Amino acid sequence: MRLLFIAKEDLKILIKNLKRDCDEFISPKKEHLDDIIFTDTKIDGNELLDYEGNSVISPRAFLLPQTEELFKIESVKTCEFVSIIDKKKRIFFGVRPCDIKAIGLMNKFFFDEFIDLFYRERLNQSIFIVLACGRRCATGSFCHLMDTGPIARDSFDLQLIPISRGYLVETGSKKGRQILKNNIRLFAKGTTNDEKEMKDILRQFRKKAKQIDFRRLAKIIENNEVSESIWLDIGLRCVVCSGCVSLCPTCSCFSVVDRLNGDTGIRLRYCDGCPYAGFTRMAGGNIPEPQHKDHIRRFFEHKLNIDVKRYGVSSCVGCARCIQTCPGNINIHDFIRKITNHKSQIPNKSQIPNSNISNKYV
Amino acid sequence: MYNEYLPIKAVIEKIVDESPDVKTFTLRPLDKNNCILKYKPGQFMMLSLAGFGEAPFTFASAPRDGVFEISVRKVGSLTGAIHKLKENDIVGIRGPYGNTFPIDKIKGKDLLFVGGGCGMAPLRPLIQHVFKNRKNYGRIEIVYGCRSPKDISYKDEIKTWQANSNTKVHLTVDEPDEDWTGACGVVCILFDKINLALNKTYVFLCGPGIMIKSAIKDILKLGFKENNIYASLERYMKCGIGKCGHCYIKGKYVCLDGPNFSYTKMRELGIDS
Repeated sequence: MRLLFIAKEDLKILIKNLKRDCDEFISPKKEHLDDIIFTDTKIDGNELLDYEGNSVISPRAFLLPQTEELFKIESVKTCEFVSIIDKKKRIFFGVRPCDIKAIGLMNKFFFDEFIDLFYRERLNQSIFIVLACGRRCATGSFCHLMDTGPIARDSFDLQLIPISRGYLVETGSKKGRQILKNNIRLFAKGTTNDEKEMKDILRQFRKKAKQIDFRRLAKIIENNEVSESIWLDIGLRCVVCSGCVSLCPTCSCFSVVDRLNGDTGIRLRYCDGCPYAGFTRMAGGNIPEPQHKDHIRRFFEHKLNIDVKRYGVSSCVGCARCIQTCPGNINIHDFIRKITNHKSQIPNKSQIPNSNISNKYV
Repeated sequence: MYNEYLPIKAVIEKIVDESPDVKTFTLRPLDKNNCILKYKPGQFMMLSLAGFGEAPFTFASAPRDGVFEISVRKVGSLTGAIHKLKENDIVGIRGPYGNTFPIDKIKGKDLLFVGGGCGMAPLRPLIQHVFKNRKNYGRIEIVYGCRSPKDISYKDEIKTWQANSNTKVHLTVDEPDEDWTGACGVVCILFDKINLALNKTYVFLCGPGIMIKSAIKDILKLGFKENNIYASLERYMKCGIGKCGHCYIKGKYVCLDGPNFSYTKMRELGIDS
């Protein structure tokens, strides 16, 4: 099937049309120091139609916010609780393929056994428009090894693939097809040249190294073939800043706390992280996992072993945010490469170019 | 549309002081059709006190008409607040969560229960269930260890257990007082008094982590089958439904896959030693 094409000018019109039927238009925007962040641009505009690299924080922050009200406490004495559900319609524009893969994995997790109502309601009210990557991003990501980039395979409603004269458009769901139908005049058929250009992008990404075999990777960890010295080294490097779990697009652990004001209040959940020493502390003070090296090990094992067993793919999507932020230089890419003897190149932190280089693709 | 995190109301019908720091609360959910009353032995529920938070507690009684019991030991801020509650006060509850003891497998078998301190509470629903259908089971022995004689919970009920046929209850304390005539020491010292058929006995344990580990070691030495040993584990939990991540052990969530694990499973999870 031939993909559709949209020109940059027409995309601006499409965005204008889309903004009319949503409450929040979550899109990338340049902040001070040229950091890219996802924010609501429904009113002020200024969304980026293409950008270099990826956002500092993944758009999961809008699906699983830092703090979120589980319910209102209307009376402490009589345990009068009333739930509040976020009904905002959101359109996510410009999500990177690695981050949409992460959202796809989060969907599986939050719909597993018990359904998380808050997540489900947000998801049902959301539309995801992916902006595929035209080139390796500057943050040292390894999506091509984790099979999450440069072009998304699933979990999106609409995907825009940047080429020299505009964007190729792919639909991934009913919602996406509806957008196409409503704005059909903005789209044209893509040409063979366009598709050739797209294939070149893919080739450019994949020529350097072959993909990681998740099953093999999981097995190595499962069978305890990772030498203790590697875990020890990781444990020594970790300073428990929890930057990795705060930025990871597939981390979803949370804690719960009540905030009272007299006889009323709210119950909140807030993002928590397994590197913290007190993460497993029980009433009375007993900590079943007291050793620090086990905390990051748990983080790595969860991503690279457990989720492979559960969902068939690793829940490390190769965005490299944890590597970028780690003050102790813990590097999950390096870890994967080491234990699987993979031949991929790891960019040294000093070699990673600044993110504010030109925004040209291909 | 069901908010899994939203507790329902329950009224405290009765409070029993079991020991200086353990109280047993009888709770009656105001909505008597709520699924929480359909729990099975071994499962747990989340108890909420607005302002203090929420924590998991195992049901401490076999299912009966519209009410259930929980035993709470005073160790932290939430349990401290629970201990201050009076009869007819309202609390928030939700559940039931977690897996159950293998009730179907144990029919016709001999049973050994090993409880330490307030670890007797999770075993109590199963013990009550078993005694209610006494003729369906073989010989039953209960080993219960506590810090001191005054820490022994369910004292009157233990007497009724002892009165059953083909049943033996062994008690031991770490710090005996002047009136104590029973055994002294950890639960393991009572294991040589056990008289059960090795290959058709199911063993259920609950207590402090260190007790579970050493007790399982000694039980295996006696020759009981690894597959027939079950322990009820405790972990920090915030949701009870496998989302918050706190009770995660090697790919299993204690709240979903547990809290009851066979020894074989525990070994897979690396929590046996």
